[in-house]
Amino acid sequence: MRVVIFCWEYPPRIVGKLADYVSNLATQLVKNKVAVHVVTYNDVMTGISEEANGVKVFRVDNPVRTHVNLLTWDLTLNQEAERAGASIYYQLRRKVDLIDVYDWHFIPAAVTIKNALGIPYVYSVDSLEDHRSPGADAPFNMAIRGIEWLGFFEAQKVTAKSEWMRSEIVRLYKVPAEKIAVTSPTAASWVKDVLAVYKSASGGSEAQ
Amino acid sequence: MKRKLNVMMFSWEFPPRVIGGISPHMYFLSKSLAENGVKVHVVTCDFPGAPEYETIDGVEVYRIDSYKNPSPDFATWVYLMNLNMQKEAAAIASKLPDPIDVFHAHDWLVATAGIGLKHVFRKPLIVTMHSTEIGRRDGLHATTEHMIHETEAWLTYEAWRVICCSNYMMSHVKWAFGLPGDKLSMVPNGVNPHAYDRLENQDLSSFRLKFALPHEKIVLYVGRLVYEKGIHILINAVPKVLAKADAKFVIVGSGYMQEQLSNIVKSMGLEHKVLFTGFVDEENLLKLQKVADVSVVPSLFEPFGIVALEAMAAKSPVVVSDTGGLSEIVQHDVTGVKAYPNNTDSLAWGISKILTDDNYAKTIRENAYKIILEKYDWNKIAQQTRILYEAVLGEYSKSFWA
Repeated sequence: MRVVIFCWEYPPRIVGKLADYVSNLATQLVKNKVAVHVVTYNDVMTGISEEANGVKVFRVDNPVRTHVNLLTWDLTLNQEAERAGASIYYQLRRKVDLIDVYDWHFIPAAVTIKNALGIPYVYSVDSLEDHRSPGADAPFNMAIRGIEWLGFFEAQKVTAKSEWMRSEIVRLYKVPAEKIAVTSPTAASWVKDVLAVYKSASGGSEAQ
Repeated sequence: MKRKLNVMMFSWEFPPRVIGGISPHMYFLSKSLAENGVKVHVVTCDFPGAPEYETIDGVEVYRIDSYKNPSPDFATWVYLMNLNMQKEAAAIASKLPDPIDVFHAHDWLVATAGIGLKHVFRKPLIVTMHSTEIGRRDGLHATTEHMIHETEAWLTYEAWRVICCSNYMMSHVKWAFGLPGDKLSMVPNGVNPHAYDRLENQDLSSFRLKFALPHEKIVLYVGRLVYEKGIHILINAVPKVLAKADAKFVIVGSGYMQEQLSNIVKSMGLEHKVLFTGFVDEENLLKLQKVADVSVVPSLFEPFGIVALEAMAAKSPVVVSDTGGLSEIVQHDVTGVKAYPNNTDSLAWGISKILTDDNYAKTIRENAYKIILEKYDWNKIAQQTRILYEAVLGEYSKSFWA
């Protein structure tokens, strides 16, 4: 299986806990014979590199340096993520089974690639705007929620790291519960759970 | 290529959504391309009452929801709108029976949609730069302006070819973004001279009376009331013209300078000589251009100057400031009068010359109309654009993307 992971942080760029989580997952996936390509942001290291653990990393930088807010920064970075994602797709002779996108930052790229090239994606939720900025209803926050909503709407499958997050996604975004799988990183079956989601989302068999 | 050339164009305005000059440009260019055997799909912003999808004069027009997400400011709205435009366009393009051969984006307002789709579909992107932020603002001052400028630079970098509508704009864009000369092409903007045909033999005297007294000549300004259009130069020229000729100044358009301008008129005690109409619908605008004794384009920055072409097509003599695209459209003393830019005395002299010398006005009017038919015909412009598409596709076919 060939998977492209979109995440705005990946070592050595560490913003929160997503970088290490995705890096661990990618390593485990490679061990399970998944070809993993990570597309991430880095303003210093750019281009393709193959890491020691066998994960191919494609780091992109924002071509627009001056920004008025995080949204404009994000919405101009996405075209570079699309360029990277499309390059991987064409280099693999149009055989990418799935995109796994972490949080809202690269939802635009995942949605565009899905609609253009027919590659399904899994939206993996680490956190939601409602929890990051509780009660904030400024247009800025509403727009981020709008992008999260689009992410849920267009996703083939959604993953949450806990039952609590799963119920929050249902409560806040009215996502059908059966579309969301819980893949807890503390569970013994973590990698197996993620692989099951990948198989089901990419049209493969759900059975292991 | 056996099948028709398949082009997808992006713009933030297309009739009936009209904000500036891009909207009519889009309409006539796409229609004339369709008449020249090119299949055109226009993806643009929605407008109340306009359908999501329709075929207009052989052109497929798709209108996307442009207010899907709330935005803190205009620039952020542009990028959020592009997110939706890009997603919808991706879905449209992937479902077409034939693949898109060329993406064509108009201005930074659709930059990210165009750039993203170029890479995802691996097809050439052609960009028309109608204007630039550095030109509009006469430099880069605020953070937003830098961001827009950098987005424009990125867009022209990603473009296979950059089209400008005047030689002036070509050198401006070359300077602003450091582009190599062979990446730039000049294709002029056009005008539809037949828009005025049916008014030719109509009696417009009662229409004229709504704006001016019978003994007053009409001096017409059409454009946004913003600094770069130099409307304040025209307002300051009003007393100087009135010293030579009896005239009514009809100012069509709106903008942030409106209040300031009407205060200046009040302080001069000339409210009875200057009429601010605000935005005027197409029908009334055509008639106004037809009855105007002189049309004035006093711009300080003007990439092209479509409003001068429209006046010339309406057979209204023009006075323009000698700058930007206007310098190329008008030949002084032949097809119009050129005034020194940002110079009230020079502008007033030009207007007075037309208003007081009927023979001169008549010659100018006839010469100008002839040039319009020869040079600014949309059919010819579409042919030039088609040749450019084909040249780009020829280069593309030799690239590793093909």
